[in-house]
Amino acid sequence: MFNVLAKTLRDKRFFILGWSFGLAFLGFAMVSFFPSFGGDQITGFLEAMPAALQGMIGDMQDWKDLPSYIGSQIFDIRLSIIITIMAIILAIGLTVGEEDKRQLQTLTALPISRTKIAFAKWLAVVLISGFAVLATALGAEVGLLVINESLDQMVLVRLVLSTWLMVSALVTVILALGLATGKRAITTVAALIITVGSFLLTTFSQSVDWLEKFSPASFFHYFPAAEIARGTVRWEDAVVYAGLIVLSLVVTFIVFPRRDIKS
Amino acid sequence: MTAIIETRTLSKKYGHALAVSEASFTIEPGEVVGFVGLNGAGKSTTINMLLGFQNPTAGEVRLFGHRVTPVNAHKSHARIGFATGDMSLFDDMTGEQYLAFVARAYKQKFHTPMFDSLVERFKPQLKKKISTLSRGNRQKIALVAAFMCEPELVILDEPSSGLDPLMQQAFLDLVREESARGVTIFMSSHYLAEVADVCTRILLIKNGVLTKDIPTSELELTSGKWVRVVTKQKVMPPKSADAVKREKNGDDYVLEFIYKDKALRLQEWLGTLPNLRDMTVSDHNPEAAFEELYEETDQKEEGVQNV
Repeated sequence: MFNVLAKTLRDKRFFILGWSFGLAFLGFAMVSFFPSFGGDQITGFLEAMPAALQGMIGDMQDWKDLPSYIGSQIFDIRLSIIITIMAIILAIGLTVGEEDKRQLQTLTALPISRTKIAFAKWLAVVLISGFAVLATALGAEVGLLVINESLDQMVLVRLVLSTWLMVSALVTVILALGLATGKRAITTVAALIITVGSFLLTTFSQSVDWLEKFSPASFFHYFPAAEIARGTVRWEDAVVYAGLIVLSLVVTFIVFPRRDIKS
Repeated sequence: MTAIIETRTLSKKYGHALAVSEASFTIEPGEVVGFVGLNGAGKSTTINMLLGFQNPTAGEVRLFGHRVTPVNAHKSHARIGFATGDMSLFDDMTGEQYLAFVARAYKQKFHTPMFDSLVERFKPQLKKKISTLSRGNRQKIALVAAFMCEPELVILDEPSSGLDPLMQQAFLDLVREESARGVTIFMSSHYLAEVADVCTRILLIKNGVLTKDIPTSELELTSGKWVRVVTKQKVMPPKSADAVKREKNGDDYVLEFIYKDKALRLQEWLGTLPNLRDMTVSDHNPEAAFEELYEETDQKEEGVQNV
């Protein structure tokens, strides 16, 4: 199994490097912009913004103190979208992408069980997601040094762990779809519906009354990054993501070893 | 003795199309069996089921006496080498990295005497990235991977396509040597000449139906001679003539047939021909025999493809 895990990480080394550098830059740039948002100008701008659009940029409190700003503007609004795109590309590439190229057939021709192949791929996507989230936090740390601000390190620890859990859940669901169906169209459409639908639902349910009751259906509903940054960790949210991971793995381990592989 | 491969009424449907229909055969240890059929005949689908890549719609596969399913196929794979003519290797690796990966999967050492002899034989480009290699050079790496862990059974799906004539010969020599060591080889091909060269037995599949299971020696006997005579008068072919064709070419009568009897009798028959104007006698090669075998099964197969 570690043979397949090592191969997968090696195959994805440039992907890991590219995304990690990109996300580290995001963390660095967003933190280094923080002093610019401290004045009254941003308050006036936010007050003038229609309520329906405020969900896209966070509320005023999120711009005023550093932990909330990092939680909201980096981890909640930007990182969750960008890392979601990364998760979709990664999970689809490692599942239906490899199957379409018939590399999955080559792999399953070896004396390695399909369960171990699936587990190795899962470990790889979870680790890669972890590298990406960690890189964002490291970029933010460098940004803090540049603007000469300090932050309780537990803020970043909480944000990194909760973001990692959220992305791991998302990437596991997409991986499960890819491995269980082997169909690119189904996996891609389902991944886009989950992510784009969740993004729209979370954004607009804050200002559209009738959408609010549907907000628990959003994948991002269980990831209140600004609250997590301020110290409120809801364990029930973690349980939802952990449950999704377990459920997706169970489906993968039941369906993938039994289905036909494309050849 | 336990059969190495045993299939019982093995069938595979894709939607309404029947790719393989009730294929039953047994392969004993040490046999070298050619699995012959045209493109789309069902060879690769059968191999996919043998290796557990695909579930049969009906019937079962047993390897080394154990029933194979996609769930447990990896247990058999520890004793099997596998290569296809257009195998998708891991492009990002070099040939050496790929083969080391395969050796680790088989829990074996990489640099063994067998590995060295395969490298000596095929001279694969091990230091280059697989993505930069030609089809033939990728194929050499796939063949080294199939044989390097000294498996008891080697399953090959059109293994020599893509190889140049020298490498094809090196491959056939390898099959002969491995067979002499007692390795069982199951090899699909649509080149009967290649199969007739190294295999002891031939399974012929057509439109998903296993139509022939014959020793290669029998195929050689049936291959016979192709005879064409041009005469001024209409003549009757010898009694043992097959696939007789007649035509009138101007004032001449052309008679073609396959002759499988003793040469002396053919010579005697030729001597009886009146006004013989032209005559050609040549080997009826395995490819022609292949076509003949296929034609024999034409009527049998009608209506099977779509059920």
